Amino acid sequence: MSADRRTLVTLAVLAMMWLVLNRLTDGVFLTPRNLANLAVQSSVVGILACGMVLVIVARHIDLSVGSLLGFTGMVVAALQAEWLPESGWTWPVALIGALLLGAALGAWQGAWVAYGRLPAFVVTLAGLLAFRGAAWLVSDGRTVSPLLPQHALLGGGIEGFVGARWSWILGALGVAALVGLRTRARARRIRVGVPVRPLPAEVFELASVCAGILAFVAVMNAYTLPRSDVARGIPVPVLILIAVAVGLSVLARSTRFGRHVFAVGGSPQAAERVGIDVRRVSVGVFALMGVLCAVAGIVTTARLEAATSSMGTLAELQAIAAAVLGGTSLAGGVGSVGGAVLGAIVMQTLDNGMVLLGISSPARQICIGGVLLVAVWLDGALRRRAER
Amino acid sequence: MRWTALAAALLLWLAPAARGDELRVGVSWSNFQEERWKTDEAALREALSRRGARYLSTDAQSSTEKQLADVESLVVRGVDALVIVAQDAHAIGPAVALARAEGIPVVAYDRLVEAPGVFYLSFDNREVGRVQARTIHALRPRGRYVFIKGAAQDPNSDFVHAGQLDVLQPAIDRGDIQVVGDQFVDGWLPDVAQRVMEQILTAAGNGVDAVVCSNDAMAGAVIAALRAQGLTDVPVSGQDGDKAALNRVARGLQAVSVWKDSRALGERAAEVATALARGTRPDAVPGRIAFAGGPRGATVDAILLEPTPVTRDNLHVVLEAGWIERGALCRGTRRDPPPACEPSEAMP
Repeated sequence: MSADRRTLVTLAVLAMMWLVLNRLTDGVFLTPRNLANLAVQSSVVGILACGMVLVIVARHIDLSVGSLLGFTGMVVAALQAEWLPESGWTWPVALIGALLLGAALGAWQGAWVAYGRLPAFVVTLAGLLAFRGAAWLVSDGRTVSPLLPQHALLGGGIEGFVGARWSWILGALGVAALVGLRTRARARRIRVGVPVRPLPAEVFELASVCAGILAFVAVMNAYTLPRSDVARGIPVPVLILIAVAVGLSVLARSTRFGRHVFAVGGSPQAAERVGIDVRRVSVGVFALMGVLCAVAGIVTTARLEAATSSMGTLAELQAIAAAVLGGTSLAGGVGSVGGAVLGAIVMQTLDNGMVLLGISSPARQICIGGVLLVAVWLDGALRRRAER
Repeated sequence: MRWTALAAALLLWLAPAARGDELRVGVSWSNFQEERWKTDEAALREALSRRGARYLSTDAQSSTEKQLADVESLVVRGVDALVIVAQDAHAIGPAVALARAEGIPVVAYDRLVEAPGVFYLSFDNREVGRVQARTIHALRPRGRYVFIKGAAQDPNSDFVHAGQLDVLQPAIDRGDIQVVGDQFVDGWLPDVAQRVMEQILTAAGNGVDAVVCSNDAMAGAVIAALRAQGLTDVPVSGQDGDKAALNRVARGLQAVSVWKDSRALGERAAEVATALARGTRPDAVPGRIAFAGGPRGATVDAILLEPTPVTRDNLHVVLEAGWIERGALCRGTRRDPPPACEPSEAMP
């Protein structure tokens, strides 16, 4: 089954779930407000899942992401609320500091994996324990708040939206970029004589993706501020997720580093023989994951308008589940960033809808566990049939 | 010659020191990693020394097995009374039995141990829930209520919620209060509480008048979710006296944080432990009740302390207790300061 077909199947399943939940909640599920909720609630796990895809594709695993999220989130909060003197530079310095810390700790873990020749499972299990302890030590377990007012903008709270005009501008830019890139790619394929898909099929696919983008913008603009008709537009954490997902997709498909990750995941020995520095790829993948943990930590603290030492508990498992739901193979070499984002949305859809229905948390956990199992089994079964 | 003197000194030093007749109280802590136990320890230690008792302590570092060995070593060191913060209420059983066999009285500190001969000393968790509900109910006698409870697996979640219902059930039955949301939160995690609250608000179309939330960390997340909808006048409860939560109370964002003054608990523990060590019968300890509210329903001697509701009007209690510094409490309250943060008080 091709990656595109697979994405279509996932989308169809997601649409079914949305329609069923909408029916069960008497139309509340598909309101612009709840879709905005869903988008914001999926953003943290979505950001982590994008990085987790590359980690798993490179035949590794990262169990430390939840703890690293907690640690970097704690640091970004402590930097702006306690450690740095208050000035115009406080906020950017805090954000950059957290991102650098994430990158450094990620690279450190990657180095143990690549040069210390330890299994990633062990290294990141150590990270899971150590970073959670470090998060605790930052403030002796205290909750750090209040944070700077502008920090909350990144969390999609009452002001954390870009407004109707900017939403349309961004949507239009997205559509223009997509159409431009696709047309250029097609022209190039024709020029060098590579077979292309029939024009109507290509146009239809492009048109539906563009329609999807514009529909998303329209829905986000239909959600207004309370007691007014001022459109909120796209929430900032969702923009961050989109930027991360687009950035990593490009990285994975069109850069040397991305292709090396997939080559190493396909066969490390073969990759080594063709001259790829397998170790450097490992360090790079973990460093990237570390940066994304910091991004997720920043979004989490912005959403809570505080930092708590338990932030991100179990986020590593949600990120792995989202990646796997999105078609990433735990054997390595196969996976897509877009699929992982879809996986994160599927998981959050279940949780979001079931809380609307008032279902208790133990029942929700059972249900989400069951869906994960069935979805991955079904995927495997379909793939085996397609290969036969 | 010199060697003989040295050897004699060594022998003297090695000979067991004569034991004074001071009382020795052994304390087995479960885990010093958590911030609050340091406050407890300081209070307990100080109260013991004031009573002329010696303080011996061990830290089990969250290990059930280590705690068994810790208690054994305290017994060997000849303590007259034991105070135990049980890492695991059931697994501590053999250690308690060992101490009881030696005739050493055992005080279960903060966490219940349902074993014969144990004296249970804690805050009344059910009362915590009652205090939360009472404060919120006074602010919103009728309307649409949401309950944000702790982890479903934690018996404390049930104690607290039972207390909340003690107060609110009559109003719910009369129809004065409609419950529009009632959810457990996995692991008491704030990020989960925030998502749950967002969904409850969505389902209710923002029709929420009050939130009875079981602890402070989740209350912060609930308040963030409310603010994202522009709802600033919905009272929210909490517990623990978290510093961030007390600051929210000062800024008028959170209605109440139910505070358990661990210094009071430490003081009482020292009092009870020394009394029992001096031979007072457990049922003769002042303030003692028979407690049978544990999961197994066994009856133990107990003292349950009343928690303190901290609201905007009585914030000075946490200041005076040294629980929080004025700067941390009053940050961001310049525009509308609560009584405890008024500038006049800062002037000497």
